[in-house]
Amino acid sequence: MSDRVEASVLEISELTKRFGGVTAVNRCSLALAPGRIYGLIGPNGSGKTTLFDCITGLIVRDGGTVRFRGRRIDGLPPHRVAALGVGRTFQVIRVFPELTALENLLVVSRRDRDGALRRARELLAFVRLDELAAEYAGNLSYGQQKLLEFVRVLMLGPTVVLLDEPAAGVNRTLLNELLAAIRRLRDEGRTILIVEHDMKVVMGLCEHVFVLDYGEKIAEGPPEEIQRDERVIEAYFGR
Amino acid sequence: MRGLVVAGLAVALVLLVLYPMVASGYEIRFMLQLFMWVALAQSWNLISGLTGYVSFGHVAFFGTGAYATGILITTHGWHWAAASVAGGLAAAILALIIGYPCLRLKGPYFAIAMLGLNEVMRVLVSYFEGLTGGGMGLSLPTLYASVQIYYAMAIAALAVTGAAYLIVTSRFGLRLMTIREDEIAAAAMGIDTARHKLYAFLLSAFVPGVVGGLFARDQGYIEPIAVFPLAFTITMIVMALFGGKGTVWGPALGAATLFVLQELVWVRFLFLHQVLFGAIIILVVLFMPRGVLGVLQQRYRLPRYV
Repeated sequence: MSDRVEASVLEISELTKRFGGVTAVNRCSLALAPGRIYGLIGPNGSGKTTLFDCITGLIVRDGGTVRFRGRRIDGLPPHRVAALGVGRTFQVIRVFPELTALENLLVVSRRDRDGALRRARELLAFVRLDELAAEYAGNLSYGQQKLLEFVRVLMLGPTVVLLDEPAAGVNRTLLNELLAAIRRLRDEGRTILIVEHDMKVVMGLCEHVFVLDYGEKIAEGPPEEIQRDERVIEAYFGR
Repeated sequence: MRGLVVAGLAVALVLLVLYPMVASGYEIRFMLQLFMWVALAQSWNLISGLTGYVSFGHVAFFGTGAYATGILITTHGWHWAAASVAGGLAAAILALIIGYPCLRLKGPYFAIAMLGLNEVMRVLVSYFEGLTGGGMGLSLPTLYASVQIYYAMAIAALAVTGAAYLIVTSRFGLRLMTIREDEIAAAAMGIDTARHKLYAFLLSAFVPGVVGGLFARDQGYIEPIAVFPLAFTITMIVMALFGGKGTVWGPALGAATLFVLQELVWVRFLFLHQVLFGAIIILVVLFMPRGVLGVLQQRYRLPRYV
Protein backbone atom coordinates (compact mmCIF):
# COMPACT_ATOMS: atom_id res chain seq x y z
CA MET A 1 0.00 0.00 0.00
CA SER A 2 1.41 3.33 -0.99
CA ASP A 3 0.40 5.18 2.17
CA ARG A 4 2.26 2.69 4.31
CA VAL A 5 5.46 3.19 2.35
CA GLU A 6 5.10 6.94 2.00
CA ALA A 7 6.38 8.83 5.03
CA SER A 8 3.66 10.64 6.93
CA VAL A 9 3.83 14.40 6.78
CA LEU A 10 1.84 14.65 10.01
CA GLU A 11 1.80 11.81 12.48
CA ILE A 12 -0.28 11.98 15.62
CA SER A 13 0.37 9.23 18.07
CA GLU A 14 -1.61 8.32 21.18
CA LEU A 15 -2.65 11.93 21.68
CA THR A 16 -4.58 12.53 24.90
CA LYS A 17 -6.17 15.63 26.36
CA ARG A 18 -8.19 15.79 29.55
CA PHE A 19 -10.24 18.67 30.90
CA GLY A 20 -10.75 17.91 34.57
CA GLY A 21 -12.47 14.54 34.64
CA VAL A 22 -13.41 14.60 30.95
CA THR A 23 -11.09 13.00 28.46
CA ALA A 24 -11.72 15.09 25.38
CA VAL A 25 -9.19 13.25 23.23
CA ASN A 26 -8.22 9.74 24.19
CA ARG A 27 -5.10 8.10 22.72
CA CYS A 28 -5.82 9.20 19.19
CA SER A 29 -3.46 8.19 16.44
CA LEU A 30 -3.71 9.56 12.92
CA ALA A 31 -1.18 9.50 10.12
CA LEU A 32 -1.48 11.87 7.17
CA ALA A 33 0.41 11.29 3.93
CA PRO A 34 1.42 14.28 1.80
CA GLY A 35 -0.84 15.57 -0.95
CA ARG A 36 -4.10 14.08 0.24
CA ILE A 37 -7.40 15.27 1.65
CA TYR A 38 -8.51 13.75 4.92
CA GLY A 39 -11.80 14.06 6.73
CA LEU A 40 -12.30 14.15 10.46
CA ILE A 41 -15.86 13.47 11.52
CA GLY A 42 -17.74 12.64 14.65
CA PRO A 43 -20.75 13.77 16.67
CA ASN A 44 -20.70 17.10 18.51
CA GLY A 45 -18.30 17.03 21.41
CA SER A 46 -16.34 14.09 20.06
CA GLY A 47 -13.05 15.97 20.34
CA LYS A 48 -12.41 17.14 16.77
CA THR A 49 -11.67 20.75 17.59
CA THR A 50 -9.70 19.78 20.71
CA LEU A 51 -7.56 17.57 18.48
CA PHE A 52 -6.92 20.55 16.19
CA ASP A 53 -6.05 22.71 19.19
CA CYS A 54 -3.55 20.11 20.43
CA ILE A 55 -1.90 19.73 17.03
CA THR A 56 -1.49 23.47 16.60
CA GLY A 57 -0.25 24.08 20.14
CA LEU A 58 -3.16 26.24 21.27
CA ILE A 59 -3.74 23.85 24.12
CA VAL A 60 -1.14 21.67 25.73
CA ARG A 61 -1.75 17.95 25.35
CA ASP A 62 -1.55 15.60 28.33
CA GLY A 63 0.05 12.74 26.47
CA GLY A 64 1.14 11.45 23.11
CA THR A 65 3.19 12.99 20.34
CA VAL A 66 2.68 15.02 17.19
CA ARG A 67 5.31 14.78 14.48
CA PHE A 68 5.51 17.05 11.48
CA ARG A 69 7.88 15.77 8.80
CA GLY A 70 9.38 13.51 11.42
CA ARG A 71 10.06 16.31 13.86
CA ARG A 72 8.18 16.57 17.13
CA ILE A 73 6.02 19.66 17.31
CA ASP A 74 4.00 18.88 20.42
CA GLY A 75 4.98 21.32 23.13
CA LEU A 76 5.89 24.07 20.65
CA PRO A 77 4.01 27.37 21.00
CA PRO A 78 1.33 27.93 18.34
CA HIS A 79 3.25 30.54 16.36
CA ARG A 80 6.15 28.12 15.92
CA VAL A 81 3.84 25.34 14.74
CA ALA A 82 2.27 27.74 12.24
CA ALA A 83 5.63 29.03 11.05
CA LEU A 84 6.82 25.47 10.43
CA GLY A 85 3.93 24.95 8.06
CA VAL A 86 0.93 23.63 9.94
CA GLY A 87 -1.89 26.13 9.44
CA ARG A 88 -5.48 26.08 10.57
CA THR A 89 -8.80 27.83 10.35
CA PHE A 90 -11.37 28.07 13.09
CA GLN A 91 -14.88 26.78 13.48
CA VAL A 92 -16.02 30.16 14.75
CA ILE A 93 -14.81 32.98 12.51
CA ARG A 94 -11.65 34.58 13.80
CA VAL A 95 -10.69 37.18 11.23
CA PHE A 96 -9.20 40.42 12.57
CA PRO A 97 -12.33 42.62 12.28
CA GLU A 98 -10.71 46.06 12.46
CA LEU A 99 -8.05 45.22 9.94
CA THR A 100 -8.93 45.39 6.27
CA ALA A 101 -9.26 42.22 4.23
CA LEU A 102 -5.86 42.92 2.71
CA GLU A 103 -4.24 43.65 6.07
CA ASN A 104 -5.67 40.40 7.44
CA LEU A 105 -3.46 38.61 4.94
CA LEU A 106 -0.42 40.90 5.10
CA VAL A 107 0.16 40.34 8.81
CA VAL A 108 0.54 36.63 8.31
CA SER A 109 3.28 36.55 5.74
CA ARG A 110 6.92 36.67 6.63
CA ARG A 111 7.98 37.53 3.13
CA ASP A 112 9.22 41.00 2.21
CA ARG A 113 6.51 43.60 1.91
CA ASP A 114 6.19 43.51 -1.88
CA GLY A 115 6.13 39.75 -2.01
CA ALA A 116 3.52 39.64 0.72
CA LEU A 117 1.40 42.24 -1.05
CA ARG A 118 1.53 40.37 -4.34
CA ARG A 119 0.60 37.06 -2.71
CA ALA A 120 -2.20 38.68 -0.68
CA ARG A 121 -3.74 40.24 -3.80
CA GLU A 122 -3.47 36.92 -5.61
CA LEU A 123 -5.28 35.12 -2.80
CA LEU A 124 -8.00 37.76 -2.52
CA ALA A 125 -8.63 37.42 -6.25
CA PHE A 126 -8.65 33.66 -5.82
CA VAL A 127 -11.74 33.89 -3.58
CA ARG A 128 -13.13 36.96 -5.41
CA LEU A 129 -12.61 39.35 -2.55
CA ASP A 130 -10.21 41.58 -4.48
CA GLU A 131 -12.70 44.42 -4.74
CA LEU A 132 -13.19 44.31 -0.98
CA ALA A 133 -9.47 44.44 -0.18
CA ALA A 134 -9.75 47.82 1.60
CA GLU A 135 -12.90 46.89 3.51
CA TYR A 136 -12.68 46.16 7.22
CA ALA A 137 -12.94 42.41 7.66
CA GLY A 138 -15.66 42.90 10.26
CA ASN A 139 -17.89 44.47 7.60
CA LEU A 140 -17.73 41.47 5.28
CA SER A 141 -20.57 38.96 5.14
CA TYR A 142 -20.29 35.72 7.09
CA GLY A 143 -19.44 33.72 3.99
CA GLN A 144 -16.87 36.29 2.87
CA GLN A 145 -15.21 36.23 6.29
CA LYS A 146 -15.09 32.45 6.07
CA LEU A 147 -13.32 32.70 2.71
CA LEU A 148 -10.99 35.37 4.02
CA GLU A 149 -10.01 33.11 6.87
CA PHE A 150 -9.47 30.32 4.39
CA VAL A 151 -7.03 32.32 2.29
CA ARG A 152 -5.40 33.87 5.35
CA VAL A 153 -4.05 30.50 6.40
CA LEU A 154 -2.65 30.05 2.90
CA MET A 155 -0.44 33.11 3.45
CA LEU A 156 1.62 30.83 5.68
CA GLY A 157 2.38 28.65 2.68
CA PRO A 158 1.40 25.70 4.85
CA THR A 159 2.36 22.10 4.15
CA VAL A 160 -0.56 20.88 6.25
CA VAL A 161 -3.86 22.74 6.45
CA LEU A 162 -6.40 21.96 9.14
CA LEU A 163 -9.83 23.27 8.21
CA ASP A 164 -12.49 23.41 10.92
CA GLU A 165 -15.87 23.36 9.17
CA PRO A 166 -14.85 25.47 6.18
CA ALA A 167 -18.18 24.97 4.42
CA ALA A 168 -20.49 25.98 7.27
CA GLY A 169 -22.42 29.11 6.34
CA VAL A 170 -20.90 29.42 2.87
CA ASN A 171 -23.55 29.63 0.14
CA ARG A 172 -23.83 27.00 -2.59
CA THR A 173 -22.10 28.97 -5.34
CA LEU A 174 -19.17 29.88 -3.14
CA LEU A 175 -19.11 26.36 -1.72
CA ASN A 176 -18.28 24.80 -5.08
CA GLU A 177 -15.46 27.27 -5.53
CA LEU A 178 -14.22 26.54 -2.04
CA LEU A 179 -14.20 22.81 -2.70
CA ALA A 180 -12.36 23.36 -5.97
CA ALA A 181 -9.86 25.51 -4.11
CA ILE A 182 -9.27 22.78 -1.54
CA ARG A 183 -8.64 20.27 -4.32
CA ARG A 184 -6.19 22.66 -5.91
CA LEU A 185 -4.28 22.85 -2.64
CA ARG A 186 -4.08 19.09 -2.64
CA ASP A 187 -2.81 19.16 -6.22
CA GLU A 188 -0.06 21.51 -5.09
CA GLY A 189 1.08 18.76 -2.75
CA ARG A 190 -0.41 20.12 0.47
CA THR A 191 -2.12 17.88 2.97
CA ILE A 192 -5.57 18.83 4.17
CA LEU A 193 -7.49 17.65 7.19
CA ILE A 194 -11.11 18.79 7.28
CA VAL A 195 -13.61 18.76 10.10
CA GLU A 196 -16.99 18.90 8.45
CA HIS A 197 -20.56 18.04 9.32
CA ASP A 198 -21.91 18.15 5.80
CA MET A 199 -21.54 14.50 4.76
CA LYS A 200 -21.93 15.31 1.09
CA VAL A 201 -18.87 17.55 1.35
CA VAL A 202 -16.90 14.94 3.27
CA MET A 203 -17.80 12.10 0.95
CA GLY A 204 -17.19 14.11 -2.19
CA LEU A 205 -13.89 15.61 -1.12
CA CYS A 206 -12.02 13.32 1.22
CA GLU A 207 -9.94 10.34 0.24
CA HIS A 208 -9.69 9.02 3.75
CA VAL A 209 -11.86 9.67 6.78
CA PHE A 210 -11.19 9.42 10.51
CA VAL A 211 -14.13 9.06 12.88
CA LEU A 212 -14.00 10.25 16.47
CA ASP A 213 -16.47 9.44 19.20
CA TYR A 214 -16.03 10.46 22.83
CA GLY A 215 -12.46 11.43 22.03
CA GLU A 216 -11.51 8.07 20.60
CA LYS A 217 -10.87 7.14 17.02
CA ILE A 218 -13.49 4.51 16.33
CA ALA A 219 -12.90 4.01 12.62
CA GLU A 220 -10.92 5.16 9.63
CA GLY A 221 -10.92 4.34 5.96
CA PRO A 222 -12.18 5.45 2.55
CA PRO A 223 -15.49 7.35 2.73
CA GLU A 224 -17.57 4.58 1.11
CA GLU A 225 -16.48 2.12 3.76
CA ILE A 226 -16.96 4.58 6.60
CA GLN A 227 -20.55 5.22 5.52
CA ARG A 228 -21.34 1.53 5.97
CA ASP A 229 -19.36 1.06 9.19
CA GLU A 230 -21.56 -0.23 12.02
CA ARG A 231 -19.70 1.67 14.76
CA VAL A 232 -19.95 4.92 12.85
CA ILE A 233 -23.66 4.55 12.24
CA GLU A 234 -24.14 3.72 15.89
CA ALA A 235 -22.13 6.75 17.05
CA TYR A 236 -24.21 9.06 14.92
CA PHE A 237 -27.68 7.59 15.31
CA GLY A 238 -27.49 5.51 18.46
CA ARG A 239 -28.15 1.84 18.63
CA MET B 1 -3.15 65.83 0.58
CA ARG B 2 -0.07 64.27 2.04
CA GLY B 3 2.11 67.11 0.81
CA LEU B 4 -0.23 69.54 2.52
CA VAL B 5 0.07 67.64 5.79
CA VAL B 6 3.86 67.62 5.58
CA ALA B 7 3.90 71.36 4.83
CA GLY B 8 1.57 72.00 7.77
CA LEU B 9 3.78 69.98 10.06
CA ALA B 10 6.87 71.88 8.90
CA VAL B 11 5.22 75.21 9.66
CA ALA B 12 4.08 73.97 13.06
CA LEU B 13 7.62 72.80 13.78
CA VAL B 14 9.13 76.19 12.94
CA LEU B 15 6.56 77.93 15.15
CA LEU B 16 7.34 75.59 18.03
CA VAL B 17 11.05 76.26 17.70
CA LEU B 18 10.52 80.03 17.68
CA TYR B 19 7.86 79.98 20.40
CA PRO B 20 10.13 80.35 23.47
CA MET B 21 11.61 83.55 22.02
CA VAL B 22 8.29 85.33 22.16
CA ALA B 23 6.49 83.52 24.96
CA SER B 24 6.40 84.35 28.65
CA GLY B 25 7.67 82.00 31.32
CA TYR B 26 4.14 80.81 32.05
CA GLU B 27 3.44 80.23 28.38
CA ILE B 28 6.59 78.21 27.94
CA ARG B 29 5.74 75.99 30.88
CA PHE B 30 2.21 75.63 29.57
CA MET B 31 3.47 74.21 26.29
CA LEU B 32 6.08 72.14 28.10
CA GLN B 33 3.33 70.42 30.04
CA LEU B 34 1.19 70.03 26.95
CA PHE B 35 4.07 68.19 25.26
CA MET B 36 4.46 66.06 28.35
CA TRP B 37 0.84 64.93 28.11
CA VAL B 38 1.12 64.29 24.39
CA ALA B 39 4.13 62.07 25.04
CA LEU B 40 2.40 60.24 27.89
CA ALA B 41 -0.87 59.65 26.02
CA GLN B 42 1.06 58.48 22.95
CA SER B 43 3.14 56.08 25.06
CA TRP B 44 0.07 54.56 26.66
CA ASN B 45 -1.44 54.14 23.22
CA LEU B 46 1.52 52.08 22.00
CA ILE B 47 0.75 49.22 24.33
CA SER B 48 -2.91 49.72 25.22
CA GLY B 49 -4.33 51.25 22.05
CA LEU B 50 -2.54 48.91 19.70
CA THR B 51 -2.42 45.56 21.51
CA GLY B 52 -5.48 46.12 23.70
CA TYR B 53 -3.50 45.40 26.88
CA VAL B 54 -4.89 48.21 29.00
CA SER B 55 -2.30 49.51 31.43
CA PHE B 56 -3.67 51.10 34.57
CA GLY B 57 -0.26 51.74 36.02
CA HIS B 58 1.61 53.58 33.33
CA VAL B 59 2.59 56.34 35.70
CA ALA B 60 4.85 53.75 37.37
CA PHE B 61 7.25 54.23 34.45
CA PHE B 62 6.97 57.99 34.75
CA GLY B 63 7.79 57.89 38.45
CA THR B 64 10.62 55.41 37.95
CA GLY B 65 12.14 57.67 35.33
CA ALA B 66 11.71 60.70 37.59
CA TYR B 67 13.49 59.04 40.50
CA ALA B 68 16.25 57.50 38.40
CA THR B 69 16.92 60.90 36.87
CA GLY B 70 16.66 62.72 40.19
CA ILE B 71 19.15 60.37 41.84
CA LEU B 72 21.61 60.54 38.93
CA ILE B 73 21.50 64.34 39.00
CA THR B 74 21.74 64.83 42.77
CA THR B 75 24.18 62.10 43.79
CA HIS B 76 26.15 61.50 40.61
CA GLY B 77 26.11 64.98 39.12
CA TRP B 78 24.80 63.87 35.72
CA HIS B 79 23.55 66.37 33.18
CA TRP B 80 19.74 66.35 33.17
CA ALA B 81 19.49 65.36 29.51
CA ALA B 82 21.65 62.26 29.92
CA ALA B 83 19.99 61.49 33.23
CA SER B 84 16.54 61.64 31.61
CA VAL B 85 17.55 59.18 28.91
CA ALA B 86 18.85 56.95 31.71
CA GLY B 87 15.47 57.42 33.39
CA GLY B 88 13.86 56.09 30.23
CA LEU B 89 16.17 53.09 30.29
CA ALA B 90 15.34 52.45 33.96
CA ALA B 91 11.64 52.48 33.07
CA ALA B 92 12.27 50.11 30.16
CA ILE B 93 14.18 47.74 32.43
CA LEU B 94 11.28 47.79 34.87
CA ALA B 95 8.96 47.04 31.94
CA LEU B 96 11.14 44.12 30.92
CA ILE B 97 11.04 42.64 34.41
CA ILE B 98 7.34 43.20 34.92
CA GLY B 99 6.23 42.62 31.33
CA TYR B 100 7.55 39.12 31.05
CA PRO B 101 5.12 37.70 33.63
CA CYS B 102 2.34 40.31 33.40
CA LEU B 103 1.84 40.32 29.65
CA ARG B 104 0.62 36.74 29.98
CA LEU B 105 -2.34 38.04 31.95
CA LYS B 106 -5.45 38.75 29.95
CA GLY B 107 -7.82 41.68 30.00
CA PRO B 108 -8.67 43.10 33.41
CA TYR B 109 -5.99 41.01 35.13
CA PHE B 110 -3.25 42.84 33.28
CA ALA B 111 -4.88 46.18 34.12
CA ILE B 112 -5.02 45.28 37.81
CA ALA B 113 -1.44 43.97 37.84
CA MET B 114 -0.25 47.27 36.40
CA LEU B 115 -2.25 49.18 38.97
CA GLY B 116 -0.50 47.09 41.61
CA LEU B 117 2.90 47.82 40.07
CA ASN B 118 2.36 51.52 40.57
CA GLU B 119 1.45 51.06 44.24
CA VAL B 120 4.47 48.82 44.78
CA MET B 121 6.83 51.30 43.15
CA ARG B 122 5.52 54.14 45.27
CA VAL B 123 5.97 52.15 48.46
CA LEU B 124 9.45 51.00 47.43
CA VAL B 125 10.55 54.54 46.69
CA SER B 126 9.22 55.69 50.07
CA TYR B 127 10.97 52.82 51.81
CA PHE B 128 14.49 53.26 50.45
CA GLU B 129 15.01 56.60 52.14
CA GLY B 130 18.79 56.61 51.83
CA LEU B 131 18.57 56.63 48.07
CA THR B 132 15.34 58.48 47.41
CA GLY B 133 14.79 60.67 50.42
CA GLY B 134 11.66 58.63 51.21
CA GLY B 135 8.55 60.59 52.04
CA MET B 136 10.64 63.73 52.46
CA GLY B 137 11.22 63.77 48.74
CA LEU B 138 14.27 64.59 46.70
CA SER B 139 15.42 68.11 45.96
CA LEU B 140 17.40 68.70 42.81
CA PRO B 141 20.05 71.43 42.57
CA THR B 142 18.55 74.73 41.43
CA LEU B 143 18.69 75.24 37.70
CA TYR B 144 16.76 77.48 35.34
CA ALA B 145 16.33 75.39 32.26
CA SER B 146 12.70 75.80 31.33
CA VAL B 147 13.45 76.63 27.72
CA GLN B 148 15.79 73.66 27.24
CA ILE B 149 13.31 71.37 28.93
CA TYR B 150 10.59 72.80 26.72
CA TYR B 151 12.63 71.70 23.70
CA ALA B 152 13.38 68.32 25.26
CA MET B 153 9.69 67.70 25.97
CA ALA B 154 8.81 68.77 22.43
CA ILE B 155 11.35 66.32 21.07
CA ALA B 156 9.95 63.55 23.27
CA ALA B 157 6.40 64.28 22.08
CA LEU B 158 7.42 64.44 18.43
CA ALA B 159 9.62 61.37 18.67
CA VAL B 160 6.92 59.18 20.19
CA THR B 161 4.36 60.47 17.68
CA GLY B 162 6.82 59.72 14.88
CA ALA B 163 7.39 56.27 16.35
CA ALA B 164 3.63 55.72 16.49
CA TYR B 165 3.41 56.68 12.81
CA LEU B 166 6.16 54.27 11.83
CA ILE B 167 4.68 51.47 13.91
CA VAL B 168 1.06 51.88 12.85
CA THR B 169 1.97 51.98 9.16
CA SER B 170 4.22 48.93 9.40
CA ARG B 171 3.42 45.24 9.48
CA PHE B 172 4.82 45.20 13.01
CA GLY B 173 2.06 47.61 13.99
CA LEU B 174 -0.61 45.63 12.19
CA ARG B 175 0.58 42.56 14.05
CA LEU B 176 0.27 44.42 17.35
CA MET B 177 -3.33 45.14 16.35
CA THR B 178 -3.99 41.46 15.63
CA ILE B 179 -3.24 40.85 19.32
CA ARG B 180 -6.00 43.31 20.21
CA GLU B 181 -8.34 41.84 17.62
CA ASP B 182 -7.85 38.15 18.38
CA GLU B 183 -4.71 37.01 20.14
CA ILE B 184 -5.38 33.30 19.63
CA ALA B 185 -5.91 33.69 15.91
CA ALA B 186 -2.76 35.83 15.76
CA ALA B 187 -0.70 33.07 17.37
CA ALA B 188 -2.25 30.48 15.08
CA MET B 189 -1.18 32.64 12.13
CA GLY B 190 2.46 32.40 13.15
CA ILE B 191 2.70 35.73 14.97
CA ASP B 192 4.94 35.61 18.03
CA THR B 193 2.49 37.49 20.20
CA ALA B 194 4.59 37.38 23.38
CA ARG B 195 7.56 39.02 21.68
CA HIS B 196 5.43 41.63 19.91
CA LYS B 197 3.70 42.61 23.15
CA LEU B 198 7.00 42.89 24.98
CA TYR B 199 8.57 45.15 22.32
CA ALA B 200 5.54 47.43 22.37
CA PHE B 201 5.59 47.45 26.15
CA LEU B 202 9.29 48.39 26.34
CA LEU B 203 8.85 51.30 23.98
CA SER B 204 5.68 52.29 25.77
CA ALA B 205 7.59 52.42 29.08
CA PHE B 206 10.75 54.10 27.82
CA VAL B 207 9.11 57.38 26.84
CA PRO B 208 7.29 57.99 30.16
CA GLY B 209 10.61 57.29 31.87
CA VAL B 210 12.33 60.03 29.88
CA VAL B 211 9.41 62.39 30.37
CA GLY B 212 9.37 61.64 34.10
CA GLY B 213 13.03 62.57 34.22
CA LEU B 214 12.39 65.86 32.45
CA PHE B 215 9.47 66.49 34.79
CA ALA B 216 11.73 65.92 37.81
CA ARG B 217 14.29 68.39 36.46
CA ASP B 218 11.61 70.90 35.63
CA GLN B 219 9.96 70.68 39.05
CA GLY B 220 13.25 70.63 40.95
CA TYR B 221 11.63 68.57 43.70
CA ILE B 222 9.99 65.15 43.61
CA GLU B 223 8.22 63.04 46.18
CA PRO B 224 6.48 59.67 45.91
CA ILE B 225 2.92 60.98 45.80
CA ALA B 226 3.86 63.60 43.21
CA VAL B 227 5.38 61.25 40.63
CA PHE B 228 3.28 58.11 41.15
CA PRO B 229 -0.26 59.52 41.16
CA LEU B 230 -2.98 57.26 39.80
CA ALA B 231 -4.60 60.42 38.42
CA PHE B 232 -1.76 60.72 35.86
CA THR B 233 -2.52 57.27 34.49
CA ILE B 234 -6.22 58.06 34.31
CA THR B 235 -5.50 61.35 32.56
CA MET B 236 -3.32 59.78 29.87
CA ILE B 237 -5.92 57.08 29.30
CA VAL B 238 -8.74 59.59 28.96
CA MET B 239 -6.67 61.71 26.57
CA ALA B 240 -5.89 58.72 24.36
CA LEU B 241 -9.50 57.50 24.45
CA PHE B 242 -10.87 60.95 23.68
CA GLY B 243 -8.61 61.47 20.68
CA GLY B 244 -8.85 57.90 19.44
CA LYS B 245 -6.91 54.94 20.74
CA GLY B 246 -5.01 52.90 18.22
CA THR B 247 -4.61 55.86 15.86
CA VAL B 248 -1.44 57.87 15.22
CA TRP B 249 -2.68 61.38 15.98
CA GLY B 250 -5.58 60.56 18.29
CA PRO B 251 -3.64 60.57 21.56
CA ALA B 252 -1.89 63.83 20.60
CA LEU B 253 -5.20 65.42 19.69
CA GLY B 254 -6.81 64.18 22.91
CA ALA B 255 -3.89 65.36 25.04
CA ALA B 256 -3.83 68.81 23.45
CA THR B 257 -7.60 69.28 23.62
CA LEU B 258 -8.11 68.14 27.18
CA PHE B 259 -5.01 69.86 28.52
CA VAL B 260 -5.96 73.18 26.99
CA LEU B 261 -9.52 72.84 28.27
CA GLN B 262 -8.26 71.96 31.70
CA GLU B 263 -5.82 74.85 31.90
CA LEU B 264 -7.87 77.57 30.29
CA VAL B 265 -11.39 76.85 31.44
CA TRP B 266 -11.63 74.41 34.24
CA VAL B 267 -8.98 75.89 36.46
CA ARG B 268 -11.48 78.64 37.20
CA PHE B 269 -13.95 76.12 38.56
CA LEU B 270 -11.90 74.08 40.95
CA PHE B 271 -14.47 71.46 41.91
CA LEU B 272 -16.45 71.54 38.73
CA HIS B 273 -13.35 70.66 36.77
CA GLN B 274 -13.16 67.22 38.40
CA VAL B 275 -16.83 66.65 37.69
CA LEU B 276 -16.42 67.72 34.08
CA PHE B 277 -13.45 65.43 33.65
CA GLY B 278 -15.48 62.50 34.96
CA ALA B 279 -18.39 63.45 32.74
CA ILE B 280 -16.13 63.49 29.69
CA ILE B 281 -14.90 59.97 30.50
CA ILE B 282 -18.45 58.69 30.71
CA LEU B 283 -19.60 60.47 27.55
CA VAL B 284 -16.62 59.28 25.51
CA VAL B 285 -16.99 55.68 26.64
CA LEU B 286 -20.73 55.71 26.02
CA PHE B 287 -21.03 57.59 22.76
CA MET B 288 -17.60 57.66 21.20
CA PRO B 289 -15.63 54.62 22.32
CA ARG B 290 -13.35 55.01 19.33
CA GLY B 291 -12.60 58.63 20.11
CA VAL B 292 -12.69 61.59 17.75
CA LEU B 293 -10.23 60.25 15.20
CA GLY B 294 -11.49 56.70 15.54
CA VAL B 295 -14.96 57.82 14.52
CA LEU B 296 -13.64 59.86 11.60
CA GLN B 297 -11.46 56.98 10.53
CA GLN B 298 -14.38 54.58 10.41
CA ARG B 299 -16.70 57.01 8.69
CA TYR B 300 -14.36 58.46 6.10
CA ARG B 301 -11.97 55.57 5.61
CA LEU B 302 -8.97 57.60 6.61
CA PRO B 303 -5.68 55.82 6.03
CA ARG B 304 -3.90 54.34 9.01
CA TYR B 305 -1.31 57.09 9.20
CA VAL B 306 -3.93 59.59 10.36
